[in-house]
Amino acid sequence: MRAAGPGCVINWNGEPLQVSAGESVAAALFRAGHLQLAATRKRHRPLGLSGSFIQGVLGDVDGIPNARLDQVTVRDGMHVARQNTWPSSHFDLLKLLRLVPARLVRGGFEHTRLMPSGTRRYLVWERLLAFLAGEGTLSPVPAAPAVVAGRRIDCDLLVIGGGPEGIGTANAAAHAGRDVVLVTRGSAPARFARLMGITETALDSRVTLLTAHEACAIYRQGHLVLAAPGDGGPAVAIGSNEIVLATGKHSLPPLVRGNTLPGVMDAATALALAAGGAACLGRVVVVGTETREAIAARLHSLGAAVAEIRAVAELKAIKGWNRVTGAVFEHAVPCQTVVHAGPWRSDPNLSFQASGDGLLRLSADALPAHVRMVGSAAAPDERIHWPGKHALDADVCPCMDVSAREIADLLRAGVTHVEEIKRQTSAGMGPCQGFPCWELMAAVIENAAGAPLADRPSHRGPRRAITVAQAAGLSGLVDPLK
Amino acid sequence: MQSNHSIVIIGGGIQGLSIAFNLARLGVRDVRVLDAGYFQGGASGRNGTLIRGGFGSPEWTGFFAHSNRLWAELSATLGENVMFTPRGYLVIAQKAETLARLDGMRDLHREHGLQSDLLAVRRIKELEPAIDEHAVLGAIYLKGGGAAPHHAAMKGYLAASRRLGARIDYQRPVTAVERSGDRITTVIAGDERIACEKVVIAGGAYSPAIGKLVGAEIPGFPIRIEAMALEPVRPVIRSAIALPDRLCYMHQTARGEIVGGAEVPEKPQVTLNTDICALAATAAAYAEVFPALGALRILRHWAGMLHATADWGPLLGQHPDVGNLWVSAGWSYGFAGAPAAGDLLARAIVTGEVDSRMAPFAVDRFRRNQPVVEGAIVLAPVD
Repeated sequence: MRAAGPGCVINWNGEPLQVSAGESVAAALFRAGHLQLAATRKRHRPLGLSGSFIQGVLGDVDGIPNARLDQVTVRDGMHVARQNTWPSSHFDLLKLLRLVPARLVRGGFEHTRLMPSGTRRYLVWERLLAFLAGEGTLSPVPAAPAVVAGRRIDCDLLVIGGGPEGIGTANAAAHAGRDVVLVTRGSAPARFARLMGITETALDSRVTLLTAHEACAIYRQGHLVLAAPGDGGPAVAIGSNEIVLATGKHSLPPLVRGNTLPGVMDAATALALAAGGAACLGRVVVVGTETREAIAARLHSLGAAVAEIRAVAELKAIKGWNRVTGAVFEHAVPCQTVVHAGPWRSDPNLSFQASGDGLLRLSADALPAHVRMVGSAAAPDERIHWPGKHALDADVCPCMDVSAREIADLLRAGVTHVEEIKRQTSAGMGPCQGFPCWELMAAVIENAAGAPLADRPSHRGPRRAITVAQAAGLSGLVDPLK
Repeated sequence: MQSNHSIVIIGGGIQGLSIAFNLARLGVRDVRVLDAGYFQGGASGRNGTLIRGGFGSPEWTGFFAHSNRLWAELSATLGENVMFTPRGYLVIAQKAETLARLDGMRDLHREHGLQSDLLAVRRIKELEPAIDEHAVLGAIYLKGGGAAPHHAAMKGYLAASRRLGARIDYQRPVTAVERSGDRITTVIAGDERIACEKVVIAGGAYSPAIGKLVGAEIPGFPIRIEAMALEPVRPVIRSAIALPDRLCYMHQTARGEIVGGAEVPEKPQVTLNTDICALAATAAAYAEVFPALGALRILRHWAGMLHATADWGPLLGQHPDVGNLWVSAGWSYGFAGAPAAGDLLARAIVTGEVDSRMAPFAVDRFRRNQPVVEGAIVLAPVD
């Protein structure tokens, strides 16, 4: 089954490229064999579509930097380019930064002892750092509207998450005559369930449905939610008497070397690619927890060449330089794609925002009575497997090139507070907003301390999406506290 | 557990650390700093990091011009890179009355040795090509102003103070004090009793509460301020920028993020949670003055708390009621002011002489009905 619709021609890094229509830019490029879409910020190691790390799908679309290539649908004639390149995205010398040893670029870009401020050479150095660190290029001439008028919705029940659990909750409430809004990140509800071949229950037509909207933030102890569509359309301030978080679980990448190489992806991403034609995945290795057999079976039924199915605990490393070339267990298994199906964990961002409290620092508290989690989101998280010394070469936060080793070294040096580790490494300060980075970071700390760690740095909204233009359009929709 | 320190500083933010460093430089090396939170957890790690010397009043300008000069040489002073970047600071007028006010400031700034110029719209546009020239009327340009990332400045102060002998502990709240008459004799932190000669309160938003704990009235109240960062792009905004008519400030950091915030008149909130109003107000200010930023995404949004006083000015000096208590509190521009505050307060503590640049900010000025009137700060009026 190929993606429907005729092909179209886009411009990729200055060259015309024929791609299949109807998909996201990231998926279309993957299918066309272009796996590296972006790079890590300091060492410019390759990143691609993973379902885990947003940094891998940031690109320049028609002159606007940091576009989400996994959210933008391909259009005939669109210009897409890799960003943070020099002199051009076609011929990129910054790739050579990859040869800089990791230990030299630890900490943020700014943690340098080489060029003290107050000197002339610092100003030159800072300009260079700003250029290297600054990702895409924003034209000073506006390429998009500066303000997109927002809207306000008030309802009785807001359901965040369009999976079967969210649909069930919304339908029951609508049936009982309540005024219900459902927000889902997907282009339609129950995307993952459909990919798994599960027949969905249709959403009650009385439910107000916001598709392709990210629920970015929760304010005022869970009484006000900010949602925004990925296409730059109007942001929505949603006031609700009750909020249900049906946000499900997400598969976390394994904690081994090569875990952020293009070709490593979560189960949902692999299923979506396979549904449009599995040939692009090549030989597939599936690692994971209990669900791995079911995911592998589904991938197989969609036509994927599944070469190996293993427990994630058996994985020692993922091989490859620019993309995946193999998975290493007791022996190396050649493959082009590594799919992870577990460990499955909840993104704690929204529940943290609804409950966060404290004056010296925000910490997660019990959810207020009018906010509840349902379905798999409320189930216990699966443990992240610690593969021994192999873990130290793993990426924890690829945006900032933070490895497990960097965190282990900080712990050894006595920096043990999660907030301090965050500030010293910048881990989790990119567009993913701490998920999955802080889960992986916690696994490193747990291993060093030998005890489970519930603590995370405080999750700050708005996560993953909203533009300045969208936020500016919210002016006047919410009254300041009086 | 019993210990002796000549001076205990309550609060390990940039104020407390700057005081500790400057005391050590003057020879008082057995300084103890106690902080209830984690390193950089308070306003010192949450502020906009902008630094300027020029304001609207001679009091503020005298003090902050000194601090700006200290920032310029701070890396050398501390032996640590604080990454101060003197990129220039634009205070931009969007209303005619604001422009008139800025016009009157240039001479004041120059009297205090600052390079200060009034820029026409054309010059602003040359400096900042991304600005919408129709949204602005003019600006004061402070050439020596700029910014310094907080983690670099804080790490610098911490390392330098420790090197000179100061003992600094985080997550170690002061739980009580013992007094003898009008003097504090012992500071108690959990199971530790610290006998000391002098105490300094540098507790940021918590200073009034710490004042209560030690039995000394510190006027003012805590208030939430919010800021946000945009996803990184290559340099597009050069200067540090204040937009007084939008109660907004911003700059682009060395790693490409545009960091800033706008204040919303609201009932003072005591929380680290953010609200949608400040998010929208900040975005609206950016969109109006730098329309190109409309396309950028917001990376994160956070709140910090500061200690508001009746005139938004700091409380700096000896406490009028408790003989051996000193205060560096009430800061709203505390990051910019820290080098000068540490320098002048440490000198006052050691020599007893109060420098004329800090004298106007005396702790008892509201009792004496002598507030410092300052009109060129970016802060929302509160009741």
